[in-house]
Amino acid sequence: MNMKRLFIVFGAIATIMISWAAASAAGLSNQTIGEVTQAAVATGAPQDFNALAMNGLMNFLSMTGFANLTLPNFVMICVGLLFIFLAIKFDYEPLLLIPIGAGVIIGNIPFVAGNQIGIYEEGSVLSYLYFGVEKGIYPPLIFLGIGAMTDFTSLIANPKLMLLGAAAQVGVFLTFIGAISLGFDLNEAAAIGIIGGADGPTAIFLSSKSAPHLLGAIAIAAYSYMALVPVIQPPIMRLMTTPEERKIRMKPPRTVTKTEKILFPLVGLILTTFISPSALPLLGMLFFGNLLKESGHTERLANTARTSMIDIITILLGVTVGASTQASVFITTSSLKIFALGAVAFAIATFSGLAFAKMMNLFLKGDNKINPLIGAAGVSAVPDSARVVQQEGLKADSNNHLLMHAMAPNVAGVIGSAVAAGILISFLSYFQQVGGM
Amino acid sequence: MENQVTQFGLTEGLVITLVGVGLVFFTLTLLFLLFISFTYLVPIVMNKINKPKQIVIKKDDEELVINATKVSGEVNAAIAAAVYHYMAEAHDEESTILTIQKVKKAYSPWSSKIYSVHGSQLNR
Repeated sequence: MNMKRLFIVFGAIATIMISWAAASAAGLSNQTIGEVTQAAVATGAPQDFNALAMNGLMNFLSMTGFANLTLPNFVMICVGLLFIFLAIKFDYEPLLLIPIGAGVIIGNIPFVAGNQIGIYEEGSVLSYLYFGVEKGIYPPLIFLGIGAMTDFTSLIANPKLMLLGAAAQVGVFLTFIGAISLGFDLNEAAAIGIIGGADGPTAIFLSSKSAPHLLGAIAIAAYSYMALVPVIQPPIMRLMTTPEERKIRMKPPRTVTKTEKILFPLVGLILTTFISPSALPLLGMLFFGNLLKESGHTERLANTARTSMIDIITILLGVTVGASTQASVFITTSSLKIFALGAVAFAIATFSGLAFAKMMNLFLKGDNKINPLIGAAGVSAVPDSARVVQQEGLKADSNNHLLMHAMAPNVAGVIGSAVAAGILISFLSYFQQVGGM
Repeated sequence: MENQVTQFGLTEGLVITLVGVGLVFFTLTLLFLLFISFTYLVPIVMNKINKPKQIVIKKDDEELVINATKVSGEVNAAIAAAVYHYMAEAHDEESTILTIQKVKKAYSPWSSKIYSVHGSQLNR
């Protein structure tokens, strides 16, 4: 069953990649039927009624999608359909992949430029919706909702798991180096590396600031790998841990008082943003949302933030990010590299989370030992990676429920990747200043 | 900082990586240390703030001292169950008065007596 699923997913990806490569190599996109018909319209001077009608018809034909279809557009529409297929058939993050898939189709319907249709044309409706992505408005609002949704209890009960969230960020920085060595400049490399944080909003936020021209590819890579967490992570988890380690039972977390729950967002907000003020929009909103949830007096606001508001933003974000993959901008070799690096980033992040968990076990004794599987949840794909940990734990021991424990590194990963993004932003602006001199 | 090309090589990347990883760990370690200390500090501070009230119940010359702020979960559960039963269930005495309530049917032409009497003459 799992093999078949892997086969379908990667077979489809490979097919698309091949046709993509063919599209960019053959240069088939150079002339479309639309351009031919438009040229014909331009040469024939309209004289009588028949000629006028004919020219009008030709003009209409030249405006249709059929006339302007290029192979890259076609490939991207197939990608959109693949996303929708994956979401419906395998239930991979349907809330994200269906809006993105629909967006990819919307963004790649061929049209004649210059009529304020496309997402990259000034004044078009889509470009106004895309404004929130471009200027990094949507990600903090998503974080507000995530904050109002997230229960930090297990993290407060067992604060040492916070370190696992930090360990997974090693993937971000190693990919950053990898991207530099592949020829991306610092700004682009930072935006690519953050894919390893497995946090869509953070990735969009950082790339809108440092590498807006790569935003589409980075967002698509981040979200599609987040959706593929159940495919990517389990093999690495099995590779890195022994069956005995996977059977380790963790003691149930202690009860957490209300005071601690209220103190956590306040302390977290002040501390993390003092260290990394560049991440203020993300962390500020995250902890603010959590405060709304935990204060106990703002249930209405918390409820709106975690239901209606985050839904609206997800719809807008998904569709516009999808539509930003317009083939003329998106099909480049750097997008291919970003996809490759994104996969590496994800693998390294999982790997380093697991390795760090094993290392922590060297220092922990008795029933304080942690199950190294939960290290994989340090990548912040909430709550998917925690769910994967739970499933893998159940495979090793059908009575060992790790979900609660895995949520701790999972939410710590959200904080960690936002902090990492803030650090990258401040470093980039420093090097910008140095480079400007 | 938008779209300016920065030409820096691997050294700068390496610096950012090392310092960045260090800083991420530093931030989360700090949070970890704070919350580890909170697990010990919060109960102490909270106890200082709300001084434990002692309720003394006198019954048959025995004094029962209850620490009002530290009531165990079992005690709370027992009280909650008792209150719930008192409010919702548990009729010790059933009311013995029977009341026959008049049921009024809504008027409908289908069941109307006048239609069945005049049925054919109404020429409908």
